[in-house]
Amino acid sequence: MNALLEKHTKDIEDILKKYPEDQKRSAVMPLLYVAMRENGFVSKQDMYDIAEIIKVSATQVASIVGFYTLYHDKEGGKHRVQVCNDLPCALRGSGEYLEKLCENIGIKVGETTEDGLVSVESVMCLAGCDKAPMFQEQNPDGVFYHEDQTVESTLELIEQWRKQEAK
Amino acid sequence: MTEVLEEKTTKLVNLTIDNLEITAPEGTLIVDAAKLAGIDIPVFCYHPKMEPVGMCRMCLVDVGMPMRDRDTGETIMEKGKPKIQFGRELQTGCTVSVSEGMVVVGYTEKVKKGRQDILEFLLSSHPLDCPICDKGGECPLQNLTIGYGSGESRFDLEEKQHLAKHVPLGDLIWLDRERCIQCARCTRFQDEIVDQPVIGFQNRGRKLQIVTFSEPGFDSYWSGNTSDICPVGALTTADFRFGARPWEMQASASVCNQCSVNCNITFNTRREAKSGGDLVIKRAMPRQNEEVNEVWLCDKGRFAYTSVKKDDRLTQPLIREGETLVETTWEKALDLVAEKAKEAGKEMVSLVGGRLSNEDYFNINQLTAHLGGKSLLNSEMAGGDLVSQVGLGTGSNIADMGQGDAILIVASDLEEEAPLFWLRVKQAAERGAEVIIANARETRADRFAKYKIRIAFGQETAVILSMAGAKEGIAVEFLADDAKVKAAAKVFSEANNAVIYYGSDGLGLSGSEELSKACAFLLSETKHTGRPNNGLVAVWNKANLQGAWDMGFRPSETLAADLKNAKFAYVVGNDPASKDILEKSLKDTDFVVVQDVRLSETAEIADVVLPAQVYTEREGTYTSAERRVQRFYPAVPAPEMTKPDYKITAKIAKRLDLSLEKIAASLVFLDLAEKVADYAELDYVRLAEVTEQWPIIGRDDLFYGGTSYQNTQGLGKQISPAIETETIKYEAFVPSVLSKKDEFLAVPVTTLYDRGSTMLSSEVLQPRIADPYVILNTADAEKLGVEAGVQISVKLNGKTANVTAKLDDSLAKGIVLVPRSMGIPISDPGSITIKAK
Ligand code: SF4
Ligand code: SF4
Ligand code: FES
Ligand code: FES
Repeated sequence: MNALLEKHTKDIEDILKKYPEDQKRSAVMPLLYVAMRENGFVSKQDMYDIAEIIKVSATQVASIVGFYTLYHDKEGGKHRVQVCNDLPCALRGSGEYLEKLCENIGIKVGETTEDGLVSVESVMCLAGCDKAPMFQEQNPDGVFYHEDQTVESTLELIEQWRKQEAK
Repeated sequence: MTEVLEEKTTKLVNLTIDNLEITAPEGTLIVDAAKLAGIDIPVFCYHPKMEPVGMCRMCLVDVGMPMRDRDTGETIMEKGKPKIQFGRELQTGCTVSVSEGMVVVGYTEKVKKGRQDILEFLLSSHPLDCPICDKGGECPLQNLTIGYGSGESRFDLEEKQHLAKHVPLGDLIWLDRERCIQCARCTRFQDEIVDQPVIGFQNRGRKLQIVTFSEPGFDSYWSGNTSDICPVGALTTADFRFGARPWEMQASASVCNQCSVNCNITFNTRREAKSGGDLVIKRAMPRQNEEVNEVWLCDKGRFAYTSVKKDDRLTQPLIREGETLVETTWEKALDLVAEKAKEAGKEMVSLVGGRLSNEDYFNINQLTAHLGGKSLLNSEMAGGDLVSQVGLGTGSNIADMGQGDAILIVASDLEEEAPLFWLRVKQAAERGAEVIIANARETRADRFAKYKIRIAFGQETAVILSMAGAKEGIAVEFLADDAKVKAAAKVFSEANNAVIYYGSDGLGLSGSEELSKACAFLLSETKHTGRPNNGLVAVWNKANLQGAWDMGFRPSETLAADLKNAKFAYVVGNDPASKDILEKSLKDTDFVVVQDVRLSETAEIADVVLPAQVYTEREGTYTSAERRVQRFYPAVPAPEMTKPDYKITAKIAKRLDLSLEKIAASLVFLDLAEKVADYAELDYVRLAEVTEQWPIIGRDDLFYGGTSYQNTQGLGKQISPAIETETIKYEAFVPSVLSKKDEFLAVPVTTLYDRGSTMLSSEVLQPRIADPYVILNTADAEKLGVEAGVQISVKLNGKTANVTAKLDDSLAKGIVLVPRSMGIPISDPGSITIKAK
């Protein structure tokens, strides 16, 4: 049976209501967010479930997950730090920032800290070029921008998350 | 040269491409116009069968337009010619349409440089492993690199990406990720052309890759085509991977004999040590025929050749000595056969299968008639006589159907029964034809049908009769969706042109006979007969059943008794003993002769076994469901002692004082054309004629159309239905009622990947065969406590079997779908009992 639909029946129905009968496939993006709410990533089963709900192929759902940096198909930290490392940001030192940041928290780009709190990713332009280095944080509550960053300021932020977690 | 496109548009424009003045229909893309004029513009992502996307930029050209005076709007002249203004940038020839006065240039340094740059990008991380690449030798990228590539790479070899090189996308297609140039031809084919987007792009930029998430991977009947149109060696087929180099192979024209579409095929053959020095088939490629399969093949047709194995062939005549069959000479075998046939006289029957050639059928029928016996067809579908009366009108081409036309599909799961018909009807729907579907369950054709009439199994005939205005004996409740039936009937009768495809979904012999009559009646009532793109198509489940009907064979409702009572049975190209009931009757037949290519179950109980040839070893013709007669040619030599069926029959006939042609299939065809009126105007020369087709494919530039073969050996000829010359009247009748006595009614349906001998003996196709299964309605399953995928026990016609349960919401309650050739023999609808295990 469709586990995703069973678990979030009301939410999914509300979402589907917004789309005309013959265009339910357009609901794929909000549905992916629903699927990500639980564990922070879209599992393969979620993709099959979504495909079934909106009657597209699972491959099409997977293509969308793969296209957008906001969707993940693998487990990551509770806070995903997505550092822009596109050309303008790189010119303002985001490369070095990224490297140092990783060194300080002891992981490589693409990895997650042992406690599962933070993962660091390198992504394409986030339209915050003028305030580089910058990153986008994805957590269960949503997406947040952190601009004009230094390694220190980011480490402080991470410390705050850690404290929240401890409470 | 432009005739092919001209018909479809009205306005022509004049333009110049590479200094050549040409005319092309307005709206034609520059690359197509150039192709028509014989000029090749290199492309990677563009394919003439798909919408342009302008992704690869390889088709860059310089495009100029005549300058106009701003005030007067007049063309500015210079030295007596319009002054041409070229754009600042090069343009993609695959996305720009031609217009009046346009000047296209593809040979200047500027253009060359542009194309060179694109190619350098494409090659920046390409492995260039042509020496071990299947596509090497017929690869657009390789060829264009020779044309435009630089002699050396400016990229650091060390920094080339290293990606997975052997990714099985499914059982039939392998992906080499390093070779993919991201043109999206494969993904667009699956989405646009066959509506099955089971492969797609994932990630972006350098990381982009082709993925599949279907279960099983690349779950589509069409996957092989993606390998033909992939402009590099990124997608290769399981049968041909590392199998041979294109330049070592010969090409021979053939026709697919897996279903009644009769797609045109080219077999590539090679002599090789691995096969003991024999000439063997290495792969099957589509051969272009725009009126049949265009440039496509379904996977079953493409890979079916792999099921023919040297080892299990019959190579010697066999004769029964007590319990065993022992080898004998042709002379002895034929003498005995002739003697017994003579003794039996009128009490002989010939029983043929659906895959023999017309020449075989003709000779067998002549012999049978000479003795006064019966010419029987081992088939569970009827209506071939009506198709010969009201089949498609001469000059039909489904590709010409669109706006204002209607196509009715009844009792057919078209994609399973005849994949290419499904594709052609889908395309007609996209061109605006109204597709009406009257089926008892959902099929993939529903997705493009505008009118869906959901009938109950057993009501196929009633619905068609009621669409034709008949009332008598048609229970209203069976036409529950009355309004829909009416609407569909109106569309059908008012259509400019209308075609009916009737299949065998849920029908046995008597059911399909009634249905074909109803269809003929509907067509004649609505005057959709005797004209191009009007008429009846029987979606046969064997390649040449129409040919068998045309040559005089008929299926029999009483086949078991016919065999039982016969003194002599001449069984050619079919295996009746694989069905219990027929096996029993054959045991009572005095003398059984089997003529076949393998030792079938029937051969095992036969008195004499005669070794025949596979269609890839000999010549012949098939007649498709659209009544197109097409030639196939020998691709590989036959085992020494075997003979083509028509010849064996002629040799028997000679011993019975009947002279039949045996030297060559073409000569048999001459006799045939003399005696079978519909074929009167045909001969092998006419059947081998070719006219120019659009798109132009398979020339030097494989980048344009892919590796499908150009057709040089015949497009075949469609024969005319009788109604074009005679008046034939059809009457309404009272349809019989399918009574359901027990809780569950089993109905036979067709699945392309069945457990028939083609699938089972092909190692390539085998992994795609499902375990035996039946399909139940979801509510019934719940009541029985059965879940999808579990084993259940079914009892049908006194036989018990364990099968997997599949569920389908669209089925009516109490119905159980039993796929043919899927482990449980079924020929007619009937009671079935089901037990959960
Ligand atoms: S696999 Fe071939 S057809 Fe598909 S995108 Fe890559 S190069 Fe194009
Ligand atoms: S559609 Fe039919 S004739 Fe064509 S390739 Fe497939 S099985 Fe063969
Ligand atoms: S380049 Fe980093 S935000 Fe635009
Ligand atoms: S952009 Fe024209 S062929 Fe690819």
